[in-house]
Amino acid sequence: MSKNSEQDVEFIKALADLLKDTDLSEIEVEREYGENDELKVRLSRAALAAPATVHVAAPVAAVPAAAPAVAAPTPAAASETAPSETGPDLSNAVKSPMVGTVYLSPEPGADTFVNPGDTVSEGDTILIIEAMKTMNQIPAPRSGKVRTVLVDNAEPVEFGEPLMIIE
Amino acid sequence: MFQKILIANRGEIALRVIRAAREMGIQTVAIHSTVDADAMHVRLADQSICVGPAPGLHSYLNQPAILTACEITGAEAIHPGYGFLSENAGFAQKVEESGLTFIGPTAAHIATMGDKIAAKETMKRLGVPCVPGSEGGVDTLEQARALAEDIGYPVLIKAASGGGGRGMKVAATSKDIDAAFSGARTEAAAAFGDDTVYIEKYLGTPRHIEIQVIGDTHGNAVHLGERDCSLQRRHQKVLEEAPSPIIDAETRARIGETCAKAMREMGYRGAGTVEFLYENGEFYFIEMNTRLQVEHPVTEMIFGVDLVREQLRIAAGETLSFTQDDLVARGHAIECRVNAEKIPDFRPSPGRVETFHVPGGLGVRTDSHLYDGYTVPPHYDSLIAKLIVHGDDRPAALARLRRALGEIIVGGIDTTLPLFEQLVDEPDIQTGSYNIHWLETWLARAED
Repeated sequence: MSKNSEQDVEFIKALADLLKDTDLSEIEVEREYGENDELKVRLSRAALAAPATVHVAAPVAAVPAAAPAVAAPTPAAASETAPSETGPDLSNAVKSPMVGTVYLSPEPGADTFVNPGDTVSEGDTILIIEAMKTMNQIPAPRSGKVRTVLVDNAEPVEFGEPLMIIE
Repeated sequence: MFQKILIANRGEIALRVIRAAREMGIQTVAIHSTVDADAMHVRLADQSICVGPAPGLHSYLNQPAILTACEITGAEAIHPGYGFLSENAGFAQKVEESGLTFIGPTAAHIATMGDKIAAKETMKRLGVPCVPGSEGGVDTLEQARALAEDIGYPVLIKAASGGGGRGMKVAATSKDIDAAFSGARTEAAAAFGDDTVYIEKYLGTPRHIEIQVIGDTHGNAVHLGERDCSLQRRHQKVLEEAPSPIIDAETRARIGETCAKAMREMGYRGAGTVEFLYENGEFYFIEMNTRLQVEHPVTEMIFGVDLVREQLRIAAGETLSFTQDDLVARGHAIECRVNAEKIPDFRPSPGRVETFHVPGGLGVRTDSHLYDGYTVPPHYDSLIAKLIVHGDDRPAALARLRRALGEIIVGGIDTTLPLFEQLVDEPDIQTGSYNIHWLETWLARAED
C-alpha cells in the first residue's frame, strides 16, 4: 500500500512536470489497479482546444498475460464517448473514411485547401488522404464554417478518426 | 528477422501470433474494426490501427486499408491468421507487389489449392492418394457400369453442377447402378438444367484425418503427423485430437512422408494441412489448406514446437529449425472449440462476458481473447476459446479434459461448454470409435 502511494506521488509529480514542459492545459488520468488493470489518459491543449488521445505502450513485464494491460481508447472510440467541457464536441466532426496519410494542401508548398474560419460548400475538397499511392480528395459533407482542423499535414490517420469540425 | 509485423486478423488467432512475435522480439501492429477497439488483440499489440467499420468486408477484408496500415506503421510483413484473407491469392500477390512479405505460401500455391479440380490434379500427380473416380462426365450407362467395376462398389453418382446433396445417388452393388445412374441424371437435369454426372468411390463412414506439413524456402519440408477432426457438425470441426486413436505409427509415417515429399516437389513454403477422408485403411485427399489451422495447437502440444514461430522464421528466409528425425511426438492432445452458441440448437449468443475464469494446471492451455467485461460482437465467427489439454496418453488427456472443463467459467453468455462435458463421458468418445457422422447422429438422438 505504502509503495503504491509513493508511486502515485511520483506519478502525479511527473504529470505536473509534463504540464509545465508542454503547452498542454489539461491531463486527465484514470488508473484502475488489480485484475482490470487500466490506464486511461486524456490530454487537452487550450490553444487548439482539441483533446488528443494517446496510445500508451503496455508495460509488458509488469502485466499478467491474461489481464488487459492498458485501455488506450482509440480516437474513434474516444469520439463516441463525447469529450468533456474543455474539448469541442467531436460527435459531429468530419471523420476519416479510410486509413491513410492526410495532406492539407493539393501539393507540397501550396496553400491549404481550407483554414479555420473559412466557409466551405458541401462537396468542396477539404483535404486529401493518401492510401495505396492514391490521393483521395475528401469532400465537405455539408456547407458551413471550418471551426477546427484536428489533424496535421502528412499525419497518419485511422478509419473513423476526427479530421475537422465544420459548423 | 522482421522488426515489425502486422496481424490481419482478430480474436484468439491474432493473440496467438502476437505471442509468438513478442517472444521473438518482433514488434506487432494490430488492425481492428470500430467494434473491436477494446479487443484483447488491440490491447496486447505494440500498435493498433482502426481499418474500418464493424462488417468484416470493410475492415478485416479491406485490402487497401490493411496495406496502407502497413505503410503508415512501417510493418514489413503480414500474418493473415486463418479465415479472412489467409487463403486469398490476390491479396498475397498484392502484399508481395507492395514490397512486403506475406507470411504464408506463394500466391500461386494458394490459387492452385483453392481450386478443387486443380488441387486434386496436382496432388494426384505428386502421388497423394485421391478419391478414385471418372475424371469427367460419364455419358452412357455402359461407361458407368465399367467405371463402377473399376473403382469398386459402393460408388456415388454426382451431378457435375450439383451441390447440397441434390443429384446424388449411391449404388451399393452392380444391381443398383442402372437406377442410380438414370436417377442422378434426371435429378441433375431437373435441379441444375445440366444432366452431366460423374462417378466416384462412395465413402460411407469415413474419418477426417489431416496431415500437418511445413516447408521452408531452402527445399526442406516435413510432416508433423495427423490430427483426427472427425467430430463435426455441419462440416464445422468441434473437437480435434492428435494423434488419431486409429492411426498406427507405420501408417502415419507412410502418409506423412507422402505429403512431405509432395510439398518438397511443389516447393511449398510455410505451414499447410493436407486433409483426407480415411476409410478401411485408405486415405482419400479432399483439400489442402494453405494456412495455419484453428486446431494447430494439438500438434504443437505433442511435438513441443511453436508453429507460428516457425512460420515467421520461414517467411524471413530462414531454414526449418527441425528435421523429420528431430520431430518426436509425445503423449496425446485434445482441443475443444468453445463457441458463443446456445445448445442444443447452436444459436449464436453474443453479448457481455461477466466472468471469464481460465482453467490451469499441468498440461492445460487456453487460447482465448476473452476477459471480464468483454463484449462478444455479433459480427464475426462465434469461436471464443480453444481449450487444449495434453496428457501422457489418451486416457490421461481425457481425464485432464474432464478436470479442466470443471474449472473453466464463461459467465454472462451461452457457450458450447456443456456439449463437451457430455462428450467427454460418452463411451464412443472414450474408445475413439467415431466417424464424420457420429456427432450429428448423437445430437439428433439427444434431441429426441
